[in-house]
Amino acid sequence: MRYVIIGASAAGAQAGEELRKLDKNSKITIISAEKYLPYSRCLISRFVDGRLKEDNLYFKTRHFFDDYDINGVLDTKIVKIDRTAKRVVSKDDEEFAYDKLLIATGSNPAIPKIDGIDLNGVYFFHSLDNANAIIQKFEKAKRAVVLGAGFVGLESAYALARRGLKVTVIEKASQILPNQLDVTASLIIQKDLESLGVEIILNQSVSFINGTDAVESVTLSDKSMIPCDILIVAVGMRPNKDLAIECGISADKGIIVDEFLRTSDPDVYSAGDVIEIQDISTGKRITSATWYNAVLQGKFSAFNMAGIDRRYSQAIGIQNAVQFHQIPAISFGKTQINEEDEQDYDVISVHKDNVYKKLVLNNGKICGMIFVGDIAKSGFYTALIRYGVDVSEFRSKLLDYDFSYAYFKENTFDQYDPYDPLIF
Amino acid sequence: MKKLTVISERCTGCKRCEMACIAEHSDTKSYIFASLSGFEPKTRIFVDSVINKPVPVVCRHCDDPQCVSACMAGCMQKDPITGIVTNMGHEQKCVGCWMCIMACPYGVISPSFDIVQAGKSEFAQAIKCDFCPNRDTPACVEGCPNEVLAVADI
Repeated sequence: MRYVIIGASAAGAQAGEELRKLDKNSKITIISAEKYLPYSRCLISRFVDGRLKEDNLYFKTRHFFDDYDINGVLDTKIVKIDRTAKRVVSKDDEEFAYDKLLIATGSNPAIPKIDGIDLNGVYFFHSLDNANAIIQKFEKAKRAVVLGAGFVGLESAYALARRGLKVTVIEKASQILPNQLDVTASLIIQKDLESLGVEIILNQSVSFINGTDAVESVTLSDKSMIPCDILIVAVGMRPNKDLAIECGISADKGIIVDEFLRTSDPDVYSAGDVIEIQDISTGKRITSATWYNAVLQGKFSAFNMAGIDRRYSQAIGIQNAVQFHQIPAISFGKTQINEEDEQDYDVISVHKDNVYKKLVLNNGKICGMIFVGDIAKSGFYTALIRYGVDVSEFRSKLLDYDFSYAYFKENTFDQYDPYDPLIF
Repeated sequence: MKKLTVISERCTGCKRCEMACIAEHSDTKSYIFASLSGFEPKTRIFVDSVINKPVPVVCRHCDDPQCVSACMAGCMQKDPITGIVTNMGHEQKCVGCWMCIMACPYGVISPSFDIVQAGKSEFAQAIKCDFCPNRDTPACVEGCPNEVLAVADI
């Protein structure tokens, strides 16, 4: 059997590792468009601010390809999938034949249509190449503007502020982290960032990026101007699905897969940011650019490719753990409720100073949570969400200090049971 | 692979397992000094209560650990031989991203900010049961007067 994996990030590398554990003899090839060993995109802010070195970003080991006997092909962009001949073709016409293929091409930053987006000094904050380019620019830079107060935007703002730059974040929504947090939680995190000197401007967008060769300033929608030598653009992610679409594989928002992560071609699987998932907390079909989802999907796809059926369920789009400055926060599942379906949901929250906890319930089950300031035991709550556990009999206790997994110890959540008397 | 077993019916809630855990994971190996050090003593085993009945909650060093899948730094790993799951002592560094805390269904991984406050690291750290690598038997098991906790080879 020949397995080919396109993409060497969270999903691709994980799938390669799992495939090797399941199948000692087959040939496994991982092809990456980037020239680096598998590295963690989530860590590049800590690389930009100088706290991590490039070596620290390799989330597998430096000998990953050797350790797992994987043919790692770097700096090679795949431009075509030939499903009839069962091979993929690179930009330089190199061909790789497969019996089973995994498309784990991830996502790329969305490019907003703004005049001046091509100027020097305008960067995305997505890859190690981006990070290295930004670091090169530091010597001369004093002021940075970040467009977008989502997760990536704020990570970059924090990194640049730690490097001593004056940073201004522009967000078109009325709060930071509009996809992850509610207003109360966002204000706590906003203050935490502001205490580091990061300026945050809400309800504004960038109309023009000004400069002749390099960026000099941005003009906001209210016509005000902010000078800057660096502009980071972080306005969302777009799945890299074109490769699949061009060879006739079904895709909508992302590549469409069944519960075994198989695409419309039974020999082609897909995992990670590029696929569309059914979010069990909201019931909506979405794409989700999160590390944990990508790793799990990589794992599940490997099992299915190796012929061991594993249903991928429990998909949740929003699953974020953040700590920009001093205050940690976790958001998971359905954290925002529209006014029109307010009556379907039951919200419990506690808020004191910088500690805020909120649970969103629907039919006696938790479907979303936000924990800020105190994130201990948050995984216990996310498990209740993922497993759809009915918590109605504990409604009044859910956010008590002593509420814990101990209440559910009969539920093993699919792992070894230390309380099982039969193990003695 | 070694795992902890728990007979919670025998537990009286004395929390000596927690004290033993705190002592073992302190520089001084003393619960008293760890408590007086100015940093919050942090246990990695938890005696929780369910309507006044104590229930020890332990890390089960899962066969399919969610904390490992969620770790974006790659530092949380399951040792293929011992089966022990830990984020310490690997090529990759824990950067305090809290993904493991978000993922652990049993709530037995905690954030620790002490190491940053003490100036020993740039990053806060996730701390969890490491099965006491410097001991034959984990400190909590030895510290328990009622044989609630034991080590089983499974």
